[in-house]
Amino acid sequence: MTPSPGWAGEATAPATIDALRDQLHAMEQEAAVLEEENLGMMRMLKEMEDNDVYLVVDTESNRLMMRQRSKILLTAVVGTGSRQFVKEETGRNWYFETPTGSLTVLGKERNPVWIRPDWSYVEENMPVPPENDPDRIVRGVLGKYALILGKGYKIHGTKYTELLGTHFTHGCISVGDKDLETLYRSVKIGTKVYIY
Amino acid sequence: MQNVTMKSKAACLFLLLSLLFMGMDGNGQEQNERDELLKQQKVLKEKIETLRREQDFLLFERALYATDSKYLIINLGAKKGQLKYKNRVLKDFRFTASANLADNALKPGTVTLTKKKEDPGQRHVLLFGKSLVILWKPPASSPYAKNIPRISLSKGDFQSIFYAIEEGAKAYLMK
Repeated sequence: MTPSPGWAGEATAPATIDALRDQLHAMEQEAAVLEEENLGMMRMLKEMEDNDVYLVVDTESNRLMMRQRSKILLTAVVGTGSRQFVKEETGRNWYFETPTGSLTVLGKERNPVWIRPDWSYVEENMPVPPENDPDRIVRGVLGKYALILGKGYKIHGTKYTELLGTHFTHGCISVGDKDLETLYRSVKIGTKVYIY
Repeated sequence: MQNVTMKSKAACLFLLLSLLFMGMDGNGQEQNERDELLKQQKVLKEKIETLRREQDFLLFERALYATDSKYLIINLGAKKGQLKYKNRVLKDFRFTASANLADNALKPGTVTLTKKKEDPGQRHVLLFGKSLVILWKPPASSPYAKNIPRISLSKGDFQSIFYAIEEGAKAYLMK
């Protein structure tokens, strides 16, 4: 990045005082250039940072953190995907895993409604109803709030609070009531969610 | 007449001695100045080294901001680390270091994850070439724990990091 002006990085004692002065001058110049470059880069990196709150979900330890810069605003014990398969006699199968990567909060819901997917019936050995069957609409099982992450995945509440901290969901991230309320109030649409 | 000659001889001698002492004094000043300049040079050399290290780290952070991969920052001095993604902290962790790591075996800079060793029934290991091994509570007989400097994490932290990063991921070691 920085060319060495003259002194070539090695401080060996030159023959004359004048040569030594020249060497020092070259080193001072190099230090000044480095300082200026570093300052510029630091400014650039600072500008890349923002004050936005973001969520981090660790699917190994089943922890969710709400962070802002270097601060941790909330640590919640959560439930993530069970990592188990469900197979249907017809050959269809599902693997319940929380998706990893960089996601975004696409929407916020109050009193979310669960539309039972096919696997939910298969899991309970029940006949799968038609797609728009009103039987699929279930209220009150996702808690008071939900944060929509897309492709059917959400951060929502759960009735099974005793299972928080384990892999028990069908891919969504389940949170306890109090933490869910804090998340709902703090997180905006567009908030980044990093899941690993 | 003889008296006059003696006087002029003494004057000449005085003049010569004065010139000699003046020269010696000049040499002393030059040596002092040289010492002073060498001292300044040493200070500047250290400053340049520090600035270069700082720049190396800033370049690393800038480069990783542009990529889509998670990376580690490992502070060898503080025995703390971070899992990051696009300059955002995903996880903080602490570690213990092996004795050979404490002997300054590692230089600050970038290392690359070359192997995620996932032996069934054994403890997983993250290998960064021949530079560094990351594991949890090192088993006494680990073949990786002998010569390569290693850091050990708690099981939970290690598991999280193990599955968060892929082979080819970068780690930056700082002191």
